[in-house]
Amino acid sequence: MNSTFHLANLLTEPPGIAHFMTVGAVLFVCGAMCMATKRNALGVLMGIELVLNGANMNFVAFGSQYLQNGGEYLGLDGPLMALFVIVLAAAEAAVALAIALNFYNNHDSIDVDRADQLQG
Amino acid sequence: MNLPTLIDSLISDTVQRSLPLFGPELALCATIVLLLLARVIPVVDQIPPLVIALVGAVVALVAAIPREGMAGLAAIERQELFTGMLVYDALTVYLRLFLTAFAVLFVILSRLTGIADRQDGQDYYALVLGATIGMCIMASANHLLSLFLGVEMASVPSYVLAGIVKGRRRSSEAALKYAVYGAGAAGIMLYGVSLIAGLLGSAHIPTMAQRLVEFDVAAKLADRDYTVMVLALGGLMVGVGLAFKLSAVPFHFWCPDVFEGASAEIGGFLSVASKAAALALLVRVGIGFTEAPQHGAEPPRQPVAAAAASFATPPAIRMVAATNGDERLAQADGQAGRSSDQTIERAGSAAEGSPLSPVRTFFVSVVAAVAIITCTFGNLAAYGQKNIKRLLAYSTIAHAGYMMMPVAAAIALAGDNPAAASDAIAALLLYATIYLFMNLGAFAIVAFLRNAMQSEEIKDYAGLVSRAPMIAVAMTVILFSLVGLPPLAGFWPKLRLLQALYEAGGSLLMFALVVAAINTAISLVYYARVAKTMCIDPQPDTSRPVQLGFLPTTFVFAMALPVAILGVLPELVAPWTRDAAAGLFGV
Repeated sequence: MNSTFHLANLLTEPPGIAHFMTVGAVLFVCGAMCMATKRNALGVLMGIELVLNGANMNFVAFGSQYLQNGGEYLGLDGPLMALFVIVLAAAEAAVALAIALNFYNNHDSIDVDRADQLQG
Repeated sequence: MNLPTLIDSLISDTVQRSLPLFGPELALCATIVLLLLARVIPVVDQIPPLVIALVGAVVALVAAIPREGMAGLAAIERQELFTGMLVYDALTVYLRLFLTAFAVLFVILSRLTGIADRQDGQDYYALVLGATIGMCIMASANHLLSLFLGVEMASVPSYVLAGIVKGRRRSSEAALKYAVYGAGAAGIMLYGVSLIAGLLGSAHIPTMAQRLVEFDVAAKLADRDYTVMVLALGGLMVGVGLAFKLSAVPFHFWCPDVFEGASAEIGGFLSVASKAAALALLVRVGIGFTEAPQHGAEPPRQPVAAAAASFATPPAIRMVAATNGDERLAQADGQAGRSSDQTIERAGSAAEGSPLSPVRTFFVSVVAAVAIITCTFGNLAAYGQKNIKRLLAYSTIAHAGYMMMPVAAAIALAGDNPAAASDAIAALLLYATIYLFMNLGAFAIVAFLRNAMQSEEIKDYAGLVSRAPMIAVAMTVILFSLVGLPPLAGFWPKLRLLQALYEAGGSLLMFALVVAAINTAISLVYYARVAKTMCIDPQPDTSRPVQLGFLPTTFVFAMALPVAILGVLPELVAPWTRDAAAGLFGV
């Protein structure tokens, strides 16, 4: 990593790790916003998928030896971790959707604001 | 090295080294497969799922006992399994024993309270054992991937368990909240993992610590280099995931809701096993990132990584400017050679011990601050609760705060006083062990009373002592032990915890000591209130007699007796915890 970093340089430089990290960061922020603002449980789950994929973007970019701006790279660990995360995300989505369906059966809605019987 | 030799070395490493030491997890895996196949194979379907689960958990427990018995705990050498994914040392052995023993007790409890019936027994036990495997992986994580996998494997079954009781509105709401918060926290943690792993160029925790030493945090901090900021941000994001598992403030929202909505047994599962595993993971991460690895021998991962690097042939199309690209390839080829240089450097850097001190200060201050807030918040919020499960949930939050304090003390002490640091971790392990009996007992009593009187409100426990004297006495013993009053078991870990904080010194940890002491006094009020309701308040006229069978009463006593006995004789368990902690700091 260079110690001087300007966002505007991204447009003039050849594709490097910073470009991929920027996309990953945008995905992460979109996902986090989605998690925080959506009232529909499915929307929240989609936000979580975006966050996981933002992290995956980073893993794959850090795992590539042709993108390094100097310093260490993750090697095969990067893509492997991304693969594991994809599988886990599928498992988590399956469980979360089942739970959302169960919630719908009991509440006739998947609005997370309706989950108000338990006051944390 | 070519592909066949690489595969051969991987297979021999896996089969000869790793799998024999992975016995308890394998036993649990086999049990889960059998439970899932039971529906398909008619012969297996005849066996009650309880029997399969219980036999599997007992086999795992037996496999978790070290070959030389508990006396051999101190002699266990640190080893890395599965090319550095997991670590096998005395702490792993102790925690696996703890978790599998808990699984056995929990399976028995589930049978006694009747939460898992003949219909969904297979699913229920498969989820419980699956979460236990995840917790075992958390306790032995040595790689950021196994850290994340462990957390997810423990969490995802827990989401389902929170909503396992069908057709209850509250239960489904608890499951949804738990799943949404949990998945969100896991996503944030994963992003943090990707940041630190990417910046340090490895996800293997000892290698990362080594890179951190080379990275020279102190100098970068003086230069106001932004990479340090990114590392700290990544570390905090990983902390979010851990804090969620620990139910530490400000990521505790799920805890009271889930405990109230889910059945009491699940509350016991989450508050004991899940907390213990999360604390173990905190210890692993804390020690992993603040101690430069002292072991000269590289993990077997290195030849694999080097071989993988030499596999990668330069592609025809370069994605980066050609001039830089060649340098990078040269760097990649030189990596195998460099790792041996690192081994030589390592001896020198371990002796100084200073390059990681900024990381250590950061970790200690974050953990101590969160612990102080968590334990104060938990105790204050528990004060006004009317539902016993909510009260126990806030009590769990408070105890998570107490249990994080020795971790901070241990990391603060690790540099100059390893003996005191390992005593602090021993205090944590003793706390977790005694907490198993206290909290599993408390939640078991709540579950049995729910079956007997269909209520979980504290006011309905009024005059319980005349209706079910044994249960009331057992609950009182457990509650006073949770406060930490001297003749009971809860006193010793709290005393050792305060001792560890005192040893560590420093203004923040001394403040934590004062806060822990004051909190113990605050907690007396609400625990004593429940005890007073049960033992002193008059019985309402409308109440019916409470009938508990012989076996439930026996189970409750099996939990309450150790609380009383360990209060008088803490040395029954304490030496094991000391042995388990000693290896961590090379004492």
